[in-house]
Amino acid sequence: MMRAADRILGIALLGLAAFVAVQAQSFYVPFSYDPVGPKAFPVGLAIILALLSLVLILRPGPNGQWPSAATCCRLVGVLVIMGVYALLFTRLGYTLSTGLAILCLARSFGASWVKALVTAVVMAVVTYFLFSDVLEISLPSGQWLTALS
Amino acid sequence: MFDFLIQGFDVALTPLNLGLAFAGALMGTLFGALPGIGPINGIAILMPLAYTLGLPAESALILLAGIYTGAEYGGRMSSILLNVPGDAGAVMTTLDGYPLAKKGMAGPALGLSAVSSFIGASIAILGLTLFAPLLAKFAVMFGPAELFVMMVFAFSSMAVMMGKDPIKTAIGAVLGILIGIIGVDSGTGVLRYTFDLPELYDGIDFVVMIIGLFAISEILLMLESRHNPAGEAEMPVVGRVLVSMKEVLFCKAAMLRSGLIGFLIGVLPGTGASVAGAVSYTTEKRLSDTEGTFGEGDMRGLAAPEAANNASAAGAFVPMLTLGIPGSGTTAVLLGALMLYNITPGPMMFTEHADVAGGLIASLYIGNLVLLLLNLPLAGLFAKVLTIPRWVLVPAIAVLSFVGVYQLHSDLSAIYLMLVIGVVGYLLRKLGFSLATVILGYVLGGLMEDNLRRALSISGGDLGILWQSGISIGLWVASVVILIGPWLWGRVRRSMQA
Repeated sequence: MMRAADRILGIALLGLAAFVAVQAQSFYVPFSYDPVGPKAFPVGLAIILALLSLVLILRPGPNGQWPSAATCCRLVGVLVIMGVYALLFTRLGYTLSTGLAILCLARSFGASWVKALVTAVVMAVVTYFLFSDVLEISLPSGQWLTALS
Repeated sequence: MFDFLIQGFDVALTPLNLGLAFAGALMGTLFGALPGIGPINGIAILMPLAYTLGLPAESALILLAGIYTGAEYGGRMSSILLNVPGDAGAVMTTLDGYPLAKKGMAGPALGLSAVSSFIGASIAILGLTLFAPLLAKFAVMFGPAELFVMMVFAFSSMAVMMGKDPIKTAIGAVLGILIGIIGVDSGTGVLRYTFDLPELYDGIDFVVMIIGLFAISEILLMLESRHNPAGEAEMPVVGRVLVSMKEVLFCKAAMLRSGLIGFLIGVLPGTGASVAGAVSYTTEKRLSDTEGTFGEGDMRGLAAPEAANNASAAGAFVPMLTLGIPGSGTTAVLLGALMLYNITPGPMMFTEHADVAGGLIASLYIGNLVLLLLNLPLAGLFAKVLTIPRWVLVPAIAVLSFVGVYQLHSDLSAIYLMLVIGVVGYLLRKLGFSLATVILGYVLGGLMEDNLRRALSISGGDLGILWQSGISIGLWVASVVILIGPWLWGRVRRSMQA
């Protein structure tokens, strides 16, 4: 299982090396004083990468433990939360989207509803003032606010 | 000869920079103490915010260096109290630190480790002051060809010393370099690997890269270890944090030796605190473990890795400031931070940017003293940080990451890119890669290609320029020795035993 992971990685990296080398062929420079050009370095790296991945395929080593299926689901869950957070970041505005994201993240890391809700409200409001007033970062205020006014 | 230091203290002693050194030390210790957040993650998360303050280059660097050295201090807390190393550099600290805490000596252990950190860092900062200007004078002779070979050497020593698996370390570095290539080629204006996405024309932003790689992947890793029993271990009572003179004197030889070892390993490009801690611990065990007390809570076994990893943190500045080649993953991040200010560290650093180089070194002296003064009385308070639950910590990291990346260009695509890089970083960590090598590759790759192309422009395409000078021949030899040396040595030893 562990060794298989290294083999798959090796094959994927071999593919990456091929892609890097093939793409490099399309870098067209009409005229240049530079005898090396933009191709040589990536092609050289692709060759090194290909050799290293061959070693990995032939002599795979053990690596870390892979998470269980349940953990995988939770990992995807957290990624979805962060993806949706990014999606809503400008649409809902900083405070609201951040509050929602904190609520969901705190819940998925084992907080009770009450604790998660308190963390979300306190952290979203405090960081809003910290970022916008102390650090003077311009944060998205949200389209729904502009729609109202 | 030490004009730069006098000038540096002028810079570092202004109220603003003094305050920043203090703030950096404090924040760094707090971040380092947080379980799982080492110096590199701390700097990754805090750097974008440091930029928004609109600080001049030297002040920003002083703040970031304070965070860096502070985090090396803070990393020991969870090692000693919970047996969970706060970062890779503090792994060795658990070996004798945790047994000491279990014996009810958590307070003295924290105190002693603060003192040995201070002594180790002091040795290395003195070394930095003495050797960096000398090395810079020597490095002026480096042309593009020599710098290219120097980077080959840096990658070779990194492949051997960093991480468990040299092949994966090398692959990580190559991946980092490839990511660095994305974007417009500065020499010819050709777009490389941009997939026709305008967002990628300028390449992958440094801040997006480090936040994705370190902060986002850390969040995913934390989710996995949520049910790790070590995370909910009983906190030992800290008790008195002051150390007695007797304990310090008992460890003085260990501290001095380890400080020196740590400095030398830190100077070696590509090798960081984790190697320094491991080498100093095994050396000390061999030299002074006559009664077999190492691993059972020997004070010297705690003092040695702590002195060494803090020494290596300061030592890593030597190659970074003089050659522009970082000595560790974290200094690679600092190098990237400097380049955002259009300062490329190198031999001219001490003449052209003496205020930055000198100010940084002077601030290390100040920061080191501040850290000792903070850590002795406040260790108990910092230890409280360890009890912050994950469900507060993770949302906080997420929010800091999002805002840090968003404020760059007020652009959502950067945030999506950060998430993608975070997933890649997580997968790489699960596959046994060290992310420090990826970031070193990312930072050094561009410089490596530039120097190679510059060298070959000078020679008109003749590769011979790469091994023409004595310096480059020496560096090629050193690279080969470091690559096959350990393997050869192993064979010789085996054949001698047989």
